[in-house]
Amino acid sequence: MFQFSVVNQWIDEFLRTYLSEGWTLLVEFVLVALLVLTAYAVLALLLIYIERKICAFFQCRIGPNRVGPFGILQSVADMIKILLKEIIRINKVDPFLFRLACFLVIIASLCTFGALPFDGGLHAIDFNIGVFYLLAVSSLGVVGILLAGWSSNNKYTMIGAMRSGAQLISYELSCGLSLLSIVILSGTMQLSQIVEQQSDLWFIFKGHVPAFIAFVIYLIAGHAETNRGPFDLPEAESELTAGYHTEYSGIQFGFFYLAEYLNMFIIAAIAATMFLGGWMPLHIPGWDRINEIMDYIPPVIWFFGKTFFCVFMALWVRWAFPRLRIDQLLALEWKILLPIGLINILLMTLLVIL
Amino acid sequence: MKMINYIKNIFLGIWHLLQGMYIAMLNFIRPKVTEQYPENRGKVSPHERFRGQLIMPHNEQNQHKCTACKICEMNCPNGTIRVVTKMETDPETGKEKKVLDRYMYDIGSCIFCALCTESCPSDAIDWTTNFEHGLFTKSKLVQRLNREGSSLMKKIRE
Amino acid sequence: MTTLISDLFTRFPYASFESKGNEYSLTVPPEKLYETASILKKNELVSFDFLCDIIGMDYGDSLGLIYRLNASAYPAYTLALKTSTGERENPRIDSVIDLWDSADLYEREAHDFLGIVFTGNPDMRRLFLRQDWKGYPLRKDYDASPEANPIPLENEKIEDMETLPVIDLNSDRKIEPEKLFEAGEYVVNFGPQHPATHGVLHLRVALDGEIITKIDPNFGYIHRGIEKMCEAYTYPQMLHLTDRMDYVSGPINRHGLCLAIEKGLELEVPERAQYIRTIIDELSRIASHLLGWGCMAMDMGSITAFVYGMRDREKIMDIIEETCGGRLMANYNVIGGVMADIHPDFQKKVKDFIPYMRKMLKEHHLLFTGNPIARGRMDGVGYLSKEKAISLGATGPTGRASGWRNDIRKIEPYAAYGKVAFDEMLREDGMTFDRYIIRLDEIKESLHIIEQLIDTIPEGAYAAKTKAIIRVPEGEYFSRVENARGEFGVYINSRGDKYPYRVKFRSPSMTLVNTLKAIAVGTKVADLIMLGGSLDYVVPCIDR
Repeated sequence: MFQFSVVNQWIDEFLRTYLSEGWTLLVEFVLVALLVLTAYAVLALLLIYIERKICAFFQCRIGPNRVGPFGILQSVADMIKILLKEIIRINKVDPFLFRLACFLVIIASLCTFGALPFDGGLHAIDFNIGVFYLLAVSSLGVVGILLAGWSSNNKYTMIGAMRSGAQLISYELSCGLSLLSIVILSGTMQLSQIVEQQSDLWFIFKGHVPAFIAFVIYLIAGHAETNRGPFDLPEAESELTAGYHTEYSGIQFGFFYLAEYLNMFIIAAIAATMFLGGWMPLHIPGWDRINEIMDYIPPVIWFFGKTFFCVFMALWVRWAFPRLRIDQLLALEWKILLPIGLINILLMTLLVIL
Repeated sequence: MKMINYIKNIFLGIWHLLQGMYIAMLNFIRPKVTEQYPENRGKVSPHERFRGQLIMPHNEQNQHKCTACKICEMNCPNGTIRVVTKMETDPETGKEKKVLDRYMYDIGSCIFCALCTESCPSDAIDWTTNFEHGLFTKSKLVQRLNREGSSLMKKIRE
Repeated sequence: MTTLISDLFTRFPYASFESKGNEYSLTVPPEKLYETASILKKNELVSFDFLCDIIGMDYGDSLGLIYRLNASAYPAYTLALKTSTGERENPRIDSVIDLWDSADLYEREAHDFLGIVFTGNPDMRRLFLRQDWKGYPLRKDYDASPEANPIPLENEKIEDMETLPVIDLNSDRKIEPEKLFEAGEYVVNFGPQHPATHGVLHLRVALDGEIITKIDPNFGYIHRGIEKMCEAYTYPQMLHLTDRMDYVSGPINRHGLCLAIEKGLELEVPERAQYIRTIIDELSRIASHLLGWGCMAMDMGSITAFVYGMRDREKIMDIIEETCGGRLMANYNVIGGVMADIHPDFQKKVKDFIPYMRKMLKEHHLLFTGNPIARGRMDGVGYLSKEKAISLGATGPTGRASGWRNDIRKIEPYAAYGKVAFDEMLREDGMTFDRYIIRLDEIKESLHIIEQLIDTIPEGAYAAKTKAIIRVPEGEYFSRVENARGEFGVYINSRGDKYPYRVKFRSPSMTLVNTLKAIAVGTKVADLIMLGGSLDYVVPCIDR
């Protein structure tokens, strides 16, 4: 099994032979930042293309098919267009907060993105409280959404922002609880160790029923946190035209757009890491031959395969269901997901103890 | 009992949600129905009765059937058609006669109600299925339907 | 019923009374109007509880009003309550707003176009035109020159739109004009440009958090003056305008107008044409309901369902295009029949379509009807009682979902509806879900009707011969058809000329917006959009 940490160490040693300690660190930081930003942008373009194509297929359409073969350059063309677009000045907005909001949203999602383990060693930072960090940073985005809605000085955005606040804060609970059950099972919050522990079997199988329930709850709650699918109330287009980002234009809107797609990816990636073993290939205890074959597939492919599976589930749900109303949304969280999540944690604890 | 209902409703809900997802997946794998317009140009055309554009058919001798009776102009609700006539002397009989000079048709105000073609006594005008009316100049919307130097078809004149 | 009505009419010694078949008319002096209307509504013999339309008329020397009344217990009988006033400067007639809820918008319409003031109606704003418009367009002495009403270069002020005008000429005291919304209210404009208003409808909504406290619909953004245009058109020229009113069920509207003219001409329509008209009507009803279903699903956030609805509708559009030559503007019915015979492939294509649609209907039910999210949103929202539906004049599927038998196809079988067996879809609960499911049920029923007719289209002419210049004999002609949204009524007043003297269309959508106003208060923003979808109004039909 090829591990990316080998490459890391080689670069590190290579730099250290020529540069001093401080410069080495600096160059490495810049390299990491560049890599993360590039991956972020490229993934966003890819996700936009995938979403449009899959959405089209669900709707008996073909989807983008004009720019490049099968339309694969469509999102690149869209990116160029959005970069060239004028940022329209809106009267009577709170200019500072209005501009800050889109950065807050994208920074929150970028910070989360950086902490994902793509491969053994291929992640920017490996906290010992990784799960906690992911939860904390990903929920910063709601501040940006609230600010965007409030500072736009528009009634639609205001309603959108208020809905968003209620929604994100509620669903944060279920998200946390379902991840907590895995933390209980693994006994650690460090993402690399969580992945390592799944080398014999993924947690979703290891944890029996409680892990499966936690997985489903996490998919639902995480999906709700991305403001998509049946949970897109903050931007409910048939009601609020575009919700909290109605007044944004050009690349400012582009930031919201990027963050939305990347959040979808991040939620899927966390689900893959915590429940489906992250970059770890499928290992079944006792079946050594199969395990060896599985090892030939590079971990990065395992990671992206699992993540895109979760993304596909999210898109499937999104394009099949109507939108919830705000009271239904909160009822789903507080009356169904949260009680089940709490009971699930209890079950998981019993499972670990016994 | 309430508890059982609560759990039953959850499972029933999930079952119905799965049915919806099944229908979506069914359509995911079905052949797509949208038409690829510029590519299928010429292959798929509107049905022959489609009212796309008014034309005046001419035969090989550059002759049309319009007797310039102006019934179409009268029947048109929007003033889309303007029939301009001129006096012409017949070379055989030497009589002066009113003939068609220009048949002006403004596609910009046409509502395709077909009152002109229905009411035309000599079937001089007809519809084509051409639907590509996009233009960059507004003045080009007014078209002259009879060709340059065209004349009335002999048969009708007699 | 006849004896009941004659018994009732003995109570109006001051009125003159006429009858022609099932159409009765009662002419009363204007000061007795309210009294008569009140007796007609509240008597114990036969309560005329459905005000179908108010037709404003300019007779030349006097201004008149025709109230078209129906009794929901005896829907086949219609009563035209007529009144006229010689006063042209300051015509006043008592409002009947407290008798029928649908009177509100109708009175505003009559006020807008004819300048009649309804005393007792607090809301005498213009309905379609700008508040600062000069003159009353449907009066025969109206000055239509551009100088009288130059094209405005400024927006209409929002204050003007929400200020109720003070019309109290009898007293000299100053009255503060009343505002519709209070100063502190959170008023959101839904429309005119909004993805979910089904056209350019402008709803001003006062919100308390997410909860709606007041709705004020504004019309007129695409008003084209069709009724005024009709007065300048010959009868065949008029026809094309009906396709452009309720554009999703255009052929049905056109059928209605043709029926009214044919009634005037006493023209016998060939049986083949009757059958073809019925099939085309039912096809467009299916198309309209599919669009209505899809739009409602889209209003609830399910865009995929909308695309599926459009996909199936496309099949119908294809069939209609092949035979009629147009897709949305089918332009098919003419006076005395249809424009062209059916296409040779028509029957085969329709027969292929029926099983396809049945299969797709099952899928639509699986995708959306059973969905717990959709059910959760539709349950318990937007209750419309039968009495309220009749009073609001919410005809069509909306009324039938509340248990009101109002299907014109059953009441007054026109075209070939008398020859087919079909059920009038009826539900009792009057909830949003009933209004939703009734459309899908009607699709099924329409397929059933088409199935019976498609193989038995009789041979013969597809249109009756008409004169080159059509002159409708002097008189008044009503006709009504069942549009996909409800009762579409046509009133023609002819003076024996090439042109009609007055044409009035009864739009089913206008009362539906009034219904929205009544049922959406107290629900949430998301419900407002969904209720709009469930009522399925089409704005160009309101803005005639």
